[in-house]
Amino acid sequence: MRKEKSSELPFAIGIPALLWQVLFFYLPLLFIVGTSVILLAEDGSFAGLSFKSFGNFLTPVYARVIFFSLLLGISNTVICLVIGYPLAYFLAFTGKKFKNFLLFLLIVPFWTNFLLHVYAWFFVLEREGVVNTLLMRLGVIHEPIHFLNSVFSIMIMMVYYYLPFMVLPIYSSLERFDRRLIEASLDLGATSLETFRKIVLPLTLRGISAGFFLVYIPSFAEFAIPELMGGDKLMFVGNAISHYILGEGTGSLGASFTVISCTVLLLTAGGFYLLLNRLLTPKQRCDG
Amino acid sequence: MGKIARLLFIATIYLFLYVPIIVLIIFSFNTESFPSPWKGFTWRWYEELFQSTHLWKAFSNSLIVALSSTLISVTAGVLLIFYAAQGGRIGKYLFLFYGNLVIPETVLAVSLLAFFGLMSIPLGLTTLVLSHTLLGLGFVVPMVYARFRELDYRLTEASLVLGASSIQTFFKITLPLLSPTLVTTALLVFIISFDDFILSYFCAGSSSQTLSLYILSMIRSGVSPVVNALSTLLLFLSSLLVWIFFSLKIRARIF
Repeated sequence: MRKEKSSELPFAIGIPALLWQVLFFYLPLLFIVGTSVILLAEDGSFAGLSFKSFGNFLTPVYARVIFFSLLLGISNTVICLVIGYPLAYFLAFTGKKFKNFLLFLLIVPFWTNFLLHVYAWFFVLEREGVVNTLLMRLGVIHEPIHFLNSVFSIMIMMVYYYLPFMVLPIYSSLERFDRRLIEASLDLGATSLETFRKIVLPLTLRGISAGFFLVYIPSFAEFAIPELMGGDKLMFVGNAISHYILGEGTGSLGASFTVISCTVLLLTAGGFYLLLNRLLTPKQRCDG
Repeated sequence: MGKIARLLFIATIYLFLYVPIIVLIIFSFNTESFPSPWKGFTWRWYEELFQSTHLWKAFSNSLIVALSSTLISVTAGVLLIFYAAQGGRIGKYLFLFYGNLVIPETVLAVSLLAFFGLMSIPLGLTTLVLSHTLLGLGFVVPMVYARFRELDYRLTEASLVLGASSIQTFFKITLPLLSPTLVTTALLVFIISFDDFILSYFCAGSSSQTLSLYILSMIRSGVSPVVNALSTLLLFLSSLLVWIFFSLKIRARIF
């Protein structure tokens, strides 16, 4: 390090975080992109660029994997939003005395190892689990239902795990929301639905989109829940990636698949971002 | 009517969240293993749990990784803010840290795995700390920087005008003002690293099992009341942490 100028010392001090980020975040990502297109000769030397491995994924099998992941990500996000927004609204505005306690109850599972929740759901959904036992006792069913290893159990677990990711950002944007705006809107003759649509929703857009991406991005690439709750039957992007990367000699295929799915993810996330903004920002007020 | 419907809705959500947990806890005290119904109360599974050396190894590994990655990411974050406080412009680098939110952890994990392979860095605790620190930085830098930007600059000015050096000002004014945010983010990073599964799954190697991987191997080998006992203890621990978090009155900015 040069030290002739005292003003240079601080930059050297500021650099570890940046260096760490570049070295261990962007370099590996770049490396994956590189692996997906670089051809190596027998001896490991550079032998040119090729996009051939991408071609392997233009088959219906892989298109299906990506399509199902999109479906998984979107449905999970929408369900979390539909359940999470009213919950956050309740916590922020109506919860009162129990607000902190309810918030506490929401955060505890969120801060506990997620594998424990997968494990806990086995007890509920098993052949001889709580739900089946209850339904049999009540005489609703006579044969236990197979809940596990299905789309149903995957979705239950996804919503269960990702719900707080949606609720907390929306809650914090609602908590900062000035309630007098609602009163003003109602006083000025808007119905409560109009008030919600034109005042509350647009002003909590930041929370909604934060929640949206906190849920959508990881659930698109989720691999643990489908693997544990889906019994290896259903393949999603995350499973395919981990399968190829951990497999023998399929690293390059894995890299290409990672690049493809990341591109799809970023494009769709960007699209949703624009859509959310378009839908929820109030139209130009030109009627006045 | 609307009120009843609302309460019913909230109750259903909390039932959904807590029925599995309660069932899990109940079965940790049952003398017979699941799916046998309730037979009697026992501490046996807890005793068995405490005798497991594997568990304590995994637990201490997770603790080491979580503590070191929290320490490194918070220190690096503070240093970066220190640089900013000396008049350095870090705003233009900040976008680098938002990548952690956009790129799914699974993708980061496989990239790191491939990268460590290429660099011939052996997988183990080191690679775990390396990768978990990234998770930490993704939270620490944006959150602490946001708070730093909100600080009243007049306090810094006052300190400088009254003759303190900029370094003194940082340690006596800026850092104490940032400390609630630092505690919050440190706690958050610790929890995230301690509970992390995806990065650990890919970057741990076979020698250094973390708690998550230990639980995974136990789940794979079938239902066992010992896992229930472990889960109950971990739930208790995280409730304790959340409670501390709440009573510190610093939860304002979880996100």
